[in-house]
Amino acid sequence: MMINPVLLKELKVKMRNWKAVAIIGGYLFILAAVALFITLANSNDMYASTINPQLSIGAYTGIAVIQFILILFIAPALTSGAIAGERERQTLDLLLCTNLAPSAIVIGKLLASMSHILILIIASIPMFSIVFLYGGISALEIAQLFGFYIVTAIMAGSIGIFFSTYVKRTIAATVLTYALGIFMSFGTLLIAVFYIRIFYNFDYQSYLPLLYLNPLAGFSSLLTSQFGGQYGSIMNMIPGLYTINPYTYKGPAPWLINIYVNIGISVVMLFLASIKINPVRRSIFSFLKKK
Amino acid sequence: MLEIKNLHKRYGKTYAVSDLNLSIPEGEIFGFVGPNGAGKSTTMKIICGLLTATSGEVYVDGVDALRQNKKIKEKIGYMPDFFGVYDDLKVDEYLDFYASVYKIKEENKRKIIADLLELVDLSRKKDSYVDNLSRGMKQRLCLARSLIHNPKILILDEPASGLDPRARVEMKAILRNLKDMGKTILISSHILSELAEMCTSIGIIDNGKMVISGTVSEIMQQVYSKKLIQIKVNGKLEETVMILKEFPFIDKITTGENLIQAGFDGGDDDMSRVLSSLVTRAIPVATFAQLEGNLEDVFMKVTKGGEEK
Ligand SMILES: Nc1ncnc2c1ncn2[C@@H]1O[C@H](COP(=O)(O)OP(=O)(O)O)[C@@H](O)[C@H]1O
Ligand SMILES: [Mg+2]
Repeated sequence: MMINPVLLKELKVKMRNWKAVAIIGGYLFILAAVALFITLANSNDMYASTINPQLSIGAYTGIAVIQFILILFIAPALTSGAIAGERERQTLDLLLCTNLAPSAIVIGKLLASMSHILILIIASIPMFSIVFLYGGISALEIAQLFGFYIVTAIMAGSIGIFFSTYVKRTIAATVLTYALGIFMSFGTLLIAVFYIRIFYNFDYQSYLPLLYLNPLAGFSSLLTSQFGGQYGSIMNMIPGLYTINPYTYKGPAPWLINIYVNIGISVVMLFLASIKINPVRRSIFSFLKKK
Repeated sequence: MLEIKNLHKRYGKTYAVSDLNLSIPEGEIFGFVGPNGAGKSTTMKIICGLLTATSGEVYVDGVDALRQNKKIKEKIGYMPDFFGVYDDLKVDEYLDFYASVYKIKEENKRKIIADLLELVDLSRKKDSYVDNLSRGMKQRLCLARSLIHNPKILILDEPASGLDPRARVEMKAILRNLKDMGKTILISSHILSELAEMCTSIGIIDNGKMVISGTVSEIMQQVYSKKLIQIKVNGKLEETVMILKEFPFIDKITTGENLIQAGFDGGDDDMSRVLSSLVTRAIPVATFAQLEGNLEDVFMKVTKGGEEK
């Protein structure tokens, strides 16, 4: 099997760039600053000993949250220009007239962006291992966290690729990608609140399926399930996210379902993008016309 | 090698290409000539699978190009009229990228790329960034790129446009080389003389329609069965035109400052009748001549662009 040539080319170019090093450096700096800040803030009001699981869980949560937010910001930026940029630079036709499959172009672009995310995640491993050494966090939990990061990044990246193929200009594609991202993160929450207020008068003791679309809800579900909600889950404060009572809530953890939903969104987005990018595509509905 | 039948391409209500027929045998160089907006690029993009046709058929090396789009891509090398390069790649990395796109084996790559760089005279630039190349060099690099998978047919959309005279000469030399290598080439230009010397056949397209096509000599004959006369007068321009219009064998009259050109479809005695009637009606004729047309005139004549001068 040959490695996707688009991926290979992008990696070669990006790794040569000083910008890549600068981004990783800045990224790690932010993470370290947050970890330090949380540790210091907590140790002041807890009379903590040096080795204290509570402390490390605080630091873990802090780094995890910041890293998640950074990924949510970075992934769309990396992909929303991927195809539109080729179009603007007038290199897209040169790719499309080769025998490279449209899906290979789309997937190559996605993988190239994901490899950057992966590098950022890998760069953060040392910081997590310090937390890990302090105890309170298991290797499995860190693996779950990284898995969730990657799937979310792929989802956000796929949406970026989708808009990048359907919209001509990079700027427009980026704006639309972030708009949809904001809707998924906050719009769905608002809808959930109004929906439950109107139809249930806040008497809704379950997890509203709409919120499986929400990456923030999925992420907080992951963190609360990792610590058994001992920090008083913020989730239960928002209607529609009521999951914590282990006696009433049955079924898989919301973050697991969120992962499946994200994979589904990614597949659909990439599929639509591959169809759109193909200049001589038959319409998706052509099979209907024939009949 | 390339066969186009009744090709149509419609944008909204207007046809960019209408009822185009074209056949290029193996090893031929076909010059596709027409003014801007004639439909050359559109036709070429349809052949390469970058645009859908509204109707019609295209066969490349016997394969139905509109339906078996994937199969023909390895047979075609395409160079667009406008294209970009990945500015952050070096020249040989650029070709290496497209080589891997075409799944060329690693062990063959180096030799293929070296040969192509030699062909387009960029061997010395192999380690330069693509961005630092001149326009002509980029054009040659793109040509090398279109050759990387050793295609049977080359589709070159105005490869010499925007180049300075020197770069044009270099480009022409490369194209002659390709001709000697036995490639079938479809090349377009809006300047006929640019193609006339190197092409075996020529087709002139205007408003999406093929106006005339055939071997270079056939076209010359067909067009030159009509002569072109040029009259220079010292005033009375409009009156002269009125007089010329009286003759049935004169058409397509175009005027410049004190200068009249017209198509002439008659013999020598018709010619002298025109001159004597101009003189008897006191037109101050300065010169009266039959033009030795070059290819440029043919083109002006065949395409409507010539009339509105
Ligand atoms: N996307 C498009 N939408 C509408 N009209 C188009 C489009 N692309 C090309 N055309 C029209 O089709 C005609 C042929 O264009 P083109 O093939 O680029 O001409 P040429 O390459 O001979 O200069 C032009 O009149 C142009 O305006
Ligand atoms: Mg053109």
